[in-house]
Amino acid sequence: MNRKLLGLVPFLIFILLCVFLYQGLFGNPRELQTGRLGQNMPSFTLPDLMDDSKQWQDSDLLGEVYLLNVWGTWCPTCIAELSYLTELREQGVRIIGLYYEQAYDPDFGDQFDINKLRAEVSSMLARTGNPYQFNILDLERTLALDLGVSGAPETFLVDKQGKILLHHTGDINQRVWRAKFAPKLMELTQ
Amino acid sequence: MRFMIVFFLMICGSAFATQDKYEFANAERESTFRELTHELRCPKCQNQNIADSDALVAKDLRDKVLALVNEGKSKDEVIDYMIDRYGYFVHYQPPVTPATIILWVLPIFIVVAGFGFIVFRQKKASGKQAWSEQDEQLLNKLIKQYQRREQ
Amino acid sequence: MIPEIGYFALVLAMALSLLLCIFPLWGAHTGNLRLMRAAPSLAVGQCIFVLFSFAILIYITLTDDFTVAYVAHHSSSTLPWYYKVTSTWGGHEGAILLWLVMQSSWTALVALMSKSIPWILRARVLGVLGFLGVGFMLYTLWMSSPFERLLPYYPVEGRDLNPLLQDPGMIIHPPLLYMGYVGLSVSFSFAIAALLTGKLDNTWAKWSRPWTMVAWGFLTLGITIGSWWAYSELGWGGWWFWDPVENASLMPWLVATALLHSLAVTEKRGVFKSWTVLLAITAFSLCLLGTFIVRSGIIVSVHAFATDPDRGLYILLFLAVVVGGSLALYAARVSQVKSEGRYQFFSREVALWVNNIFLVVATLVVFLGTLLPMIHKELGLGSISIGVPFFNQMFAILVVPFALLLGVAPMLRWKQNKLPPLLRKWLVIAGATLVITAAWLFGSFDTVAPLTFVATALAVWIVLSTTVDFAQKISTQKSLSEGLKRLGLSYWAMVSGHIGIAFVIAGVTLTSAYSVERSVRMQPGDTATLNEYVYRFEGVKEIVGPNYSGHAGVVTVLKNNEKVTELLAEKRLYTIGMQFMTEAAIDDGFFRDLYLALGEQLDGKAWSLRIYHKPYVRWMWLGGILIAFAGFIVLADKRYRRNATPTNKQEVL
Repeated sequence: MNRKLLGLVPFLIFILLCVFLYQGLFGNPRELQTGRLGQNMPSFTLPDLMDDSKQWQDSDLLGEVYLLNVWGTWCPTCIAELSYLTELREQGVRIIGLYYEQAYDPDFGDQFDINKLRAEVSSMLARTGNPYQFNILDLERTLALDLGVSGAPETFLVDKQGKILLHHTGDINQRVWRAKFAPKLMELTQ
Repeated sequence: MRFMIVFFLMICGSAFATQDKYEFANAERESTFRELTHELRCPKCQNQNIADSDALVAKDLRDKVLALVNEGKSKDEVIDYMIDRYGYFVHYQPPVTPATIILWVLPIFIVVAGFGFIVFRQKKASGKQAWSEQDEQLLNKLIKQYQRREQ
Repeated sequence: MIPEIGYFALVLAMALSLLLCIFPLWGAHTGNLRLMRAAPSLAVGQCIFVLFSFAILIYITLTDDFTVAYVAHHSSSTLPWYYKVTSTWGGHEGAILLWLVMQSSWTALVALMSKSIPWILRARVLGVLGFLGVGFMLYTLWMSSPFERLLPYYPVEGRDLNPLLQDPGMIIHPPLLYMGYVGLSVSFSFAIAALLTGKLDNTWAKWSRPWTMVAWGFLTLGITIGSWWAYSELGWGGWWFWDPVENASLMPWLVATALLHSLAVTEKRGVFKSWTVLLAITAFSLCLLGTFIVRSGIIVSVHAFATDPDRGLYILLFLAVVVGGSLALYAARVSQVKSEGRYQFFSREVALWVNNIFLVVATLVVFLGTLLPMIHKELGLGSISIGVPFFNQMFAILVVPFALLLGVAPMLRWKQNKLPPLLRKWLVIAGATLVITAAWLFGSFDTVAPLTFVATALAVWIVLSTTVDFAQKISTQKSLSEGLKRLGLSYWAMVSGHIGIAFVIAGVTLTSAYSVERSVRMQPGDTATLNEYVYRFEGVKEIVGPNYSGHAGVVTVLKNNEKVTELLAEKRLYTIGMQFMTEAAIDDGFFRDLYLALGEQLDGKAWSLRIYHKPYVRWMWLGGILIAFAGFIVLADKRYRRNATPTNKQEVL
């Protein structure tokens, strides 16, 4: 009897393994969560994308729930999600852009042209619709690093007290919005 | 990792136009930097560390590690700094939690169980059969006889 | 038309495989000898059709038939002919067809080489192999046919083979690895056939041993070549990353190594029978699991393979049927097995059991480290990574008792030993080990870390104790030639394998501890010093290849102001895919490799270069080859030839 049970052990372990492997087929192994989840926005002072004289600080963002959308015109997926994000803005969602620039590198600062970038952003947003209240320019990607951003597009949901509630890597579409963001937002407004 | 000191002294000797990509105040920092870039995982790429990856975020992390190390931060401080931002994913050494403890406990358990099993089995199997000094002599004699016959 | 013939040949092969699965198994069940006798011809028949189909894939690749999707995606007209041939296994569909080629060839070989095995066992072995063949053929025909057409809109030029795969290492790496994986399916089939027959005596172990040895030899060679390929082709001098895909090949290797040793005990002493069967099942199951991990994309790996959830689902289903079925059979039959052998604690039986424990624990570490991140995430606990620091730490701990045992175990006899004389011998060897290691390390390097010393000492320990044992085995005979003649081939295999392990341990330890590197920016004429070598950058010249163009950094290497060699580190741009590739320049040597990679162009004529000095790095591949050689030695063993007389009682292991 005892021996029979012992003989069954490998079989049972294997069945358990199969369950996990099956689940794994439908998961996304590349999805990542920031280590900042549940914490406050890191402090920062960064210029506005369109206006050097305007500086944004973390304290300026407090008081309202908002989405922080990491994007750049160099990233095709970001451009693809702009029109859906604009729809969300029209529904009353507050979206703030964090501009993630790739071409700029602190070692070769002179090759980077801010005016060209502004013109490019303006024409892009004129075409797709502008989802953003404003854009923060993070040239050296310091805020991005503090937030645990690994690329673009990525989106954070931040509450009134500045606490980071959600982190999504990849584009936002209707499916992701309904499954992930909308329920959390409902919770906050109640 | 102390060989790095030797290595560093050597490169100090050759100050031509050749420039090293990363400069350090001392050899210890250099080896810390090297270890860190091999143990931190690039969050964007496929399975690669930040030393081997060409991705932008890997470069950013490398630069940050370099800056932190040159500020005099220890290896653990830099790792904690990165985990605060990118989660446990960023470090190739898993944290010890109730869920991951199995990584260490199960191998130890198997070793103990395996040894326990063989001691138990061997006791049971050899119980009926005792090997005496006489048997040994008899065996040796037989071996000798056998060898002689072979010749 | 021709690709369709290839597809049709596979359909025929599958039909024959289906019969191969049904007839002999049914025949063995009902005792119908005529049905069982059909097995060998069916096995050979399906093999011929698979080979024919593979030949057609090679033909359409060589003739640049870009109407076929596989050829269009993995080849191009500018590709050299030998890379065209290898491109037939450079992509998913072709790789699976290559797997089929191996599977059907092994099946045919088993059919031809097993004439002395009783019909009932032979029929069951071939039937199980036929079942596995059907599974893979159905997969190929249904979900991953390499003969799919791109009609009516096909490209005029193919997308070219991934430049990473355009390398001699890649020509042989996958076939060797698949030979190993599929070869283990033969051990698996023997185990299942023995379970079905209900007779788990030492005869099945005896028949299974040579097949397992050879499969294991191929697997060893495949892993070794894979490591060498990564080192020479990926451009950052690494040779093992603990990537899931690498782990997927290491796990079956570890279990197969345990299996070899366990088979020896089962064959010679008739103990550990149920354990050996379980290992045979596990080894092949891990091959299938590895295939699933690689092809389904459930785990992020640096080796990018085309992934598709449907394919993953099929492989998982197949895995569940094969492994689940065999483990259920195992559970049903294992309680009937009884071991009769008796042995003392200090005996070869126990030593081999402990060897098995360590190998299984090593497998478990790799297994958990590979799969736990996925499970951790599925349980909603967030993402974690398990990589180099974890595995290195665990293996560093495991290797110590393992290597110590590896040194002493061959001196133990079956059943029982007297400890005091052995202990005296071991103490002398241990003393010699410490002296030699100290002389070697302190003589060659300025600093020696304690861990480096320990690991190197383990390698020396293995070599010394193996040599002592070897010398003693010979000296019991009258003359040297007589002594050498008396050593069985399996003893030679053991010596080769164990010395190989020592080389791997020494190579890994020393190259990890003493490799140094510099990332530098150089103008033509600049020099950089690394250890005792001076590297002078002479400039960059243009290069043009058949399907690429690029730059080669010319570097003269000097030692004591004398020229050692000139290295050409290339940076290639493959024109069709517009992919950059770093082709490192390597000056290889028995004691050190000089490794040079060209980086990007900086301002003016300056370039960035990475220089590595890697001592003893070649030893681990040399060790790998020695280990693999151990597996192939049995091919020469008369004992396992067809018409040889059974068991030679004189055999050592």
